[in-house]
Amino acid sequence: MNQPLAGFAPAPVTARMENHGNHMLKVAMQTGHDLFARVGSMVAYEGFIQYEPSPSAVRQIARDWVTGEGAPLMKCSGDGLLYLADYGANVVVINLNGEGISVNATNLLAFDAHLTWGVERVKGLAKFAGQGLWNTKISGQGWVALTSRGKPIVVDCGGGEDETYVDPDALVAWSPNLKVKGKRSFRAQSLIGRGSGEAFQMAFSGQGIVVVQPSEDSTDRLRVRG
Amino acid sequence: MAREFQRGHKARISDLTAGTDLYVGVQIAGPGLSFDISCFGLDADERLSDDRYFIFYNQPKSPEESIQLLGAQAGDTESFRVTLDRIPQQIKKLSFTATIDGAGQMSQIGPGYIRIVAGGEEVARYPFSGSEFTTERAVMLGDFYFKDVWRFAAVGQGFDGGLEALLRNFGGEVAEDEPAAPEPQQPAQPQAPQATPGFAPPAFGAPGGGAPAPAPQPAQGFTPPPAPAPAPAPSPVHSAPTIVAPMQTPPGGSPVPPPAPAPAPYGGQTPPPPPGYGQPPAPPQAPAPPAGYGQPPAAPQAPAPPPGYGQPPAPQAPAPPPGYGQQPPPGQMPPGQMPHQHAPYGAPQGMPQGAPQTPGVLGALQQFKETPTGQRWTQQNKKLVRADLSIGGTPVLARQGSMVLYQGKVDFSYKGAGFTGRIVGNATGQEMQLMRCTGQGQVFFAENSTMLHPIELQGDAVCVSAENVLAFDEGLQYEVRRIEGHGIPGGALFTMQFQGTGTIVVKTHGIPVVLPVTPTTFADANAVVAWSAAAQVVVSSQVRMRRNSYPGATGESVNLQFRGAPGNFIVVQPYEI
Repeated sequence: MNQPLAGFAPAPVTARMENHGNHMLKVAMQTGHDLFARVGSMVAYEGFIQYEPSPSAVRQIARDWVTGEGAPLMKCSGDGLLYLADYGANVVVINLNGEGISVNATNLLAFDAHLTWGVERVKGLAKFAGQGLWNTKISGQGWVALTSRGKPIVVDCGGGEDETYVDPDALVAWSPNLKVKGKRSFRAQSLIGRGSGEAFQMAFSGQGIVVVQPSEDSTDRLRVRG
Repeated sequence: MAREFQRGHKARISDLTAGTDLYVGVQIAGPGLSFDISCFGLDADERLSDDRYFIFYNQPKSPEESIQLLGAQAGDTESFRVTLDRIPQQIKKLSFTATIDGAGQMSQIGPGYIRIVAGGEEVARYPFSGSEFTTERAVMLGDFYFKDVWRFAAVGQGFDGGLEALLRNFGGEVAEDEPAAPEPQQPAQPQAPQATPGFAPPAFGAPGGGAPAPAPQPAQGFTPPPAPAPAPAPSPVHSAPTIVAPMQTPPGGSPVPPPAPAPAPYGGQTPPPPPGYGQPPAPPQAPAPPAGYGQPPAAPQAPAPPPGYGQPPAPQAPAPPPGYGQQPPPGQMPPGQMPHQHAPYGAPQGMPQGAPQTPGVLGALQQFKETPTGQRWTQQNKKLVRADLSIGGTPVLARQGSMVLYQGKVDFSYKGAGFTGRIVGNATGQEMQLMRCTGQGQVFFAENSTMLHPIELQGDAVCVSAENVLAFDEGLQYEVRRIEGHGIPGGALFTMQFQGTGTIVVKTHGIPVVLPVTPTTFADANAVVAWSAAAQVVVSSQVRMRRNSYPGATGESVNLQFRGAPGNFIVVQPYEI
């Protein structure tokens, strides 16, 4: 009976965070090495793991997420294996190793609690009301897991004068040292009465990378469905 | 496109590819079987005169690194990197072989292949399956051989005797050692191979999965034992596993490929998982005298750190007694052993992307880098397409909102005028809005993580349901057609017929099916994506509406029937809009 399913058994643990398939994250939890994860992202766990939904410290920071763009987090602690997923989105695991990354709040799945992180307003997008308004900047020595609807693509901004323009709904993450600004690429006349389209883009310039998902569905499923 | 080889076919490598840095992938699998895939570097007499050119898990590269074992990746059970121009003079032939580790025979294998990839493109493939074989236990899959120039031959010949026969075929020395190896395990010899299949593969998966992309790192990390085939003294084999179990080094006496002690070297190869170590070395306990059973399982249990990792000890404990006592065929292993036996399959599946071994943001994201090409349309991955407007110079028309990213000076303008006038006119006010992308730069298109299929038209024509058009070259001639029928939501189905030379990007939800048009081909109007508009096929008249006798309730109310000359096709997606 187990034959067809047996192939899906987890692989031996080799790192703090790993992919199980493309869509599931496996975290090796240890006491004293806590994890922040999106509320509702846990699909299974093995061992003794406790969850504290939005602990006070987090709430403090999350207060900034007034617009509702933010993603509620829970703190997971204990020993064992924790499996996380976000409604079938692809999971990308990154070992930061001292570097930093800016992540769109809805695309953040989990990260080590000891990392330095903060929610900030994306500069230069004052009147921009899409989802890119708030982002989470994470840096330090540790692991981060992002979600992406579909296999993402990483584009090098090149560093020159050229700017890279991204649809904010498709944006997943970017290097924090990039300069960001908003851009309207449609001329006024084409906007009148003809909304939708590519009305806004975020323009990135400088040295770094931008991660983009092949979908403009930025719905936060964990939030929408509870 | 990859060239398909049949057994016995030969070709010059230079005819396949200009490159000399080749990737050779082997996929072979069978229920309950595990395989050792190796490469023999043979001299002019087809002898393995130099042990260092026997490339296998225990010796993952040749001295000058012209042949490297890369591990499992990209769907291949095992893969090699071969740099033809660095292969020394005396090596005239590379023979890629697969041997069954443990019980089984080649007739049990499923479809597999050996393929050559050069420059990221598959250039040759020799597919085989179990039906071509009988009781063989070792097969020579394909050869690279040097006759004036390097050539490739699809061999597909095997030996009943397994690895030993293979070694004997290639040269005396190693073969003589082989029989010696199993001997010391006299008491449990038949069981040994039984135990291994379960344990050997996990390590196979681990190094492969752990290594991102073409990574010789794991190979470098572990030092190849200098002598590949030392005849082990009986006693070390017995004592080693029990004492040395958690240690990283393979027991000194591990003979090359024969089943029993093999797992130990695997264990050494796996990078860091402490629980893993407890696990792989365990099988060598097989040959150990029964008295030892009480002890060994306890040993791995103790060090296994967090309870979460409890997996290894648990199945181990129940496994040994029944497994050794009855030696059932691998398919009927006692349940206790199941998880182990299959964990290996989990390994490759669990980490197809591989845990990013390279730390840092860039390292982790390396696999998602954009693929550079000089072409106008490039499929970046299944769901993302890049159009380079600088090439070709004509603008691209795309569904509004489908741009996810662009670089360079690109101007987006609303595409209206005559075109829209024709495509609107839908009762519901539903319209397809296009935008024109002009300028110099690259634009990335994607929508809703649907799968994208760039279709290159060279003078032919295709009809695409308007819903499923994502982008196309403005140079194409297109025409909007309206299929009317009762029961179609909105009153009509809009299709666009494209003709000319250029590319259309069609999106589908899920993997579509392409059906040939026969007299009885029907499709749901909502699920049909595209169909060929080959000569003489006039779509509007080819499509007939049928209305269900009971409209509404049961769903499948609108079907389209397709008719056409043979050679026409329709594309249907597993999703009804």
